[in-house]
Formats: sequence, structure tokens, C-alpha cells
Amino acid sequence: MATALASARPAEPTSPTFWRTFWANAVLAPRTSLGFMRLDFVLGTVFVIPLTQMVFFAFVVQLGGGGASAIAFTAIGNAVATVSYSSVFTVCQTTDNEKTLGTMEHLLVSPAGRFALYLGRGLIPILISLATVAVGLTYAVLLFGVSIPVATFPGLAVSVVLTAFAMVGFGLLLGGVALYLRTSIILGNIFLFIGLLLSGVNFPLSSLPPALQYLGDALPLTWGLAAIRAAISGSALGPLAVLWAAVAISGIVSIGLSMGLWDFFERRAKATGSIARF
Amino acid sequence: MTMATVVGVRRTRVTAASLRLAFLQFIADPQWLVPSMIAPVIFGLVSYELFRGAGPYFLTYAILGAGMMSMWGQTLYGSGWATGQDREFGTLEPTIQAPAPYLYVVLGRIVWNVVAGLFGGLIVYVVVVVAAGGPPALPNPLAFVLLFLFVMVTLACVGIVFAAAYVYTRFAGFIQNIGEFAFYVGTGCMFPVVLLPFWTNPIALLFPPTWALDALRYVSIPGYVGFGWGWGWDLVGAVATTAIYAGIAGTVFHRVERHVLEVGDLSDY
Repeated sequence: MATALASARPAEPTSPTFWRTFWANAVLAPRTSLGFMRLDFVLGTVFVIPLTQMVFFAFVVQLGGGGASAIAFTAIGNAVATVSYSSVFTVCQTTDNEKTLGTMEHLLVSPAGRFALYLGRGLIPILISLATVAVGLTYAVLLFGVSIPVATFPGLAVSVVLTAFAMVGFGLLLGGVALYLRTSIILGNIFLFIGLLLSGVNFPLSSLPPALQYLGDALPLTWGLAAIRAAISGSALGPLAVLWAAVAISGIVSIGLSMGLWDFFERRAKATGSIARF
Repeated sequence: MTMATVVGVRRTRVTAASLRLAFLQFIADPQWLVPSMIAPVIFGLVSYELFRGAGPYFLTYAILGAGMMSMWGQTLYGSGWATGQDREFGTLEPTIQAPAPYLYVVLGRIVWNVVAGLFGGLIVYVVVVVAAGGPPALPNPLAFVLLFLFVMVTLACVGIVFAAAYVYTRFAGFIQNIGEFAFYVGTGCMFPVVLLPFWTNPIALLFPPTWALDALRYVSIPGYVGFGWGWGWDLVGAVATTAIYAGIAGTVFHRVERHVLEVGDLSDY
């Protein structure tokens, strides 16, 4: 009898596996907190925004007297910078969306591993970022006279993948900061566009005052863009590998910091009983 | 007191009340000015850097363009939100069923958006002037101010049409986010529209701010090369397109009100 009772006892709750949490978030987050699964948004982000942003700055450069090389420089910069929409702005908004949907508290008490959870959320944004840069660079070649030799494709592909990863990591970091904020929309807007000024998107970083150059160095976009420009210009593997390392480090540091922030604010939420307090 | 007077008073009161509420909502949470200002401030600084050394009047281009973007963004987003917030709060149907025409409710919100946009434009001006180390040279300040206010009126009219169209679409957010740069390019916020391929010019001229902004640049930038017909016809075009937009907005809002009365709700769209 005792044995029968023991066997009838409900099983001890176990944490879901890493891959299950990762996959569940990769599939579900775009439909919920990322709000990403609308075809019009995806197509607009991938095809329309890069084109209009590149056209805008190309004409600004042309009005300012810039030649073909300046326009090509701007075109590459903006082709890459548009990843911020899918990787930074959208990922950063997940915290807001969780609060709005009323699911934040449930998320905080779930046993799911946080690393797998947030990494899973980043999967679709990484893929959309890759598509955005690919389309942007295609526009750069077809419309703005940029030359990308076929021999540079492997180096360029590595640079683009690393940049997408680092930018999504940065978006997760901002999402962690946004846990403490009333809304993440201001943070999202700042970092959506700040790269245009501080990351060497439209003009070389050396044009900026030193203090602003240091700020730019703290952004993953700066290193990602430098790696992509170096790859397109056919840079040797040695210098390119250094830039890849810088991009990867910026992504890893961002994800590490985001995990730390989430852990800190989770503890605070459990101590105060509310995540909505700010 | 005649019925017409009652209706007339009610419309004024409705617009004033709507304006007051929009103002109070802004005061309660003024941070909402920031999102629509960040991009213009950054674009203004980037453009200033790109125009540096191009000539004394290029600072005017940067400031005017960034200021316009701020006001454009405020109008575009504010107008979308003008009907979107009613839908989100569940107050769209009751507001439209009220005796006061919905157009005048939206008008109050749009007027506030214009004022907030002006405020945003002023902040953009200050930031870019500080970065540049001095204000731009304006050959005709009075004409500049008058035309600037006129540009605001044209923006408000576009805003009302957007607000009307947003009632019928699920794609308001899409239009706002994806169309932002397209509007900046199409209306020549930062550069003359004549720089764009010729086939795009007729599309750009569908928007009243394109005409008004061209006129504004003619009077504020010596040697400006815009549309060949000059700033006088720019003004005529701006007034004509603005009137058309106002007419379209009135018609659409009238149709929206009839739709609600016939169907009973605006959930289906």
C-alpha cells in the first residue's frame, strides 16, 4: 500500500531542458513578445527600410557635395545599420511587451533556464538581421555602385553573422535595462539611431571628437561595420580576425551583461513582490 | 438659440476639450516627445557633419530638414495614435456615436501634435546650433517664420487625413514605422525633391508639405534650386493640396460616422 501511494505521488517538478526552452522561445516569442510574425513587418524591415534609409543618406551626401566613393561608403554603412530595427529595437521591446501582456510575472516564476530563454528569443531576430543586411548590401551593389568581389564573400558572411549575433546580444542587454524602466521605447529609439552618428555609418569615426569616438567603440555596430567594410575591401585574414574577435567579444559581453541584469532585477522583483515598480 | 448655433458651439468646445485632454496627457507623460525627437536630432547632427564645408547655407538645410522630420514624425505618429488610442481604450465607438462630429475630436489632438512638433523642432534647432557653434544665416527671418507656420498647417492637414485613414486599416503601425523614411525622402525633408528621379516628383507633389517646404527653402537659402516654377507657385500648390486634403479628411470622417451608425461598431476593419 505504501508503495502504491508512493508511486501515485506526483513527480517532482523538473526544469525544462535547455533545448526545449530555447526552441519554445524561438518559435513562440516572434508571435508574442517580439510581435514580429506579421508578414508586412518582416517584409518592410527586410526590403523597405534598408532601401529608403540608404536613399535618404545617399541624397544627403550628394547634396553635400560627396562623390561616388562617399555615397558608396554611406550605402554600405546604412545597409548594415538597418539591422538595428530587427536586432536592437524589437528585441529591446520584449520586456515592454511582457509587461503589457501581463506575462512578466509568470515568466519570472517559471523554472526555465534564462540563458536558453533569451538566446531562443534572439534566433528569429538574428535570421531577420541576416536577411536585412544581405538585402541592404544587394541594394548597395545594384543601386549605389558598391563593388563586392566574389572572393570576399566568405569573410563577408562571417562578418555579417557575427554582427547579427552581437547586435541581438546588445538588444537583449537593452531589454535587461528596460526591465527597470517605465518603458523601453525611449531606450530602443536612442540605440536604433545612435549608431548612425557614433558607429561610422555615414562618415569615418575619426571625424568625431575623441569622447564620441570612445562612445562609438562601446557599440557592437561599430565593430561589426568595421569588420564588414574590411571584408568587402578584401582585407587579409589577420586584421579581419582581430575585428571578428572584437565583434564576438562585444556580443558575448552584451549577453553576459543582459543575463546579469535580468538576474539582478529578478531578485529585486522577488524581494519586493513586484516587477512593475519603477 | 438656433440649432446651428448649438452645433457650432459644440464643435468649438469639442475641439478645445480634445486639445486640453491631449495637453494634459502629454504633461502627465511628456517622455513621449522624446521618441519622435531622437531620430531628427541624430539626423540633424549627421547631416551637419555631412554638409560641413559645403557652404554657409547648408546649416539651414540640416536644421530645416531635422526640424521638419521632428514635426513630421510627431504628426505622423500622433495622428495614428489619435484614432489608435480610442480603438485600444474601447472609446472609438462611443466617441463617434456622440453628437459632436469625430473630426473635431481628432482636430484637437492634431492641433496639440502640431504644437508638440513645434516644440520638438525648437529642441532640434538648439541642439544642431550648439553643435555647429552658431545659428544659420537667414536672409529673410519674417518670411521664414510665416512660411514655417504655414508648413505646420500643411502637416496638420496631412495628419488629419492619416487619422481618418487609420480608422479603416490594421496597418497604421506598419505605415508609421516602415513609411517613416519614405516620407522623409518623398517630401524632401533634408534635400530638394528635384534631386530625386523625375518620375518620383508627381508622387512627392501629392503631399502639401513638399510644396510648402520648397517655398520655405526658396526664401531662406540664397541660390536654392527647387521646382522651376518658384516659391509663388509653390505657395499656390501648397494651398490647393492642403484644401484637397482637408476636403478628403472631412469626407472620410463623415463616412466613418455613418459606418458606425449603420454597423454598430468599428471592430471590423
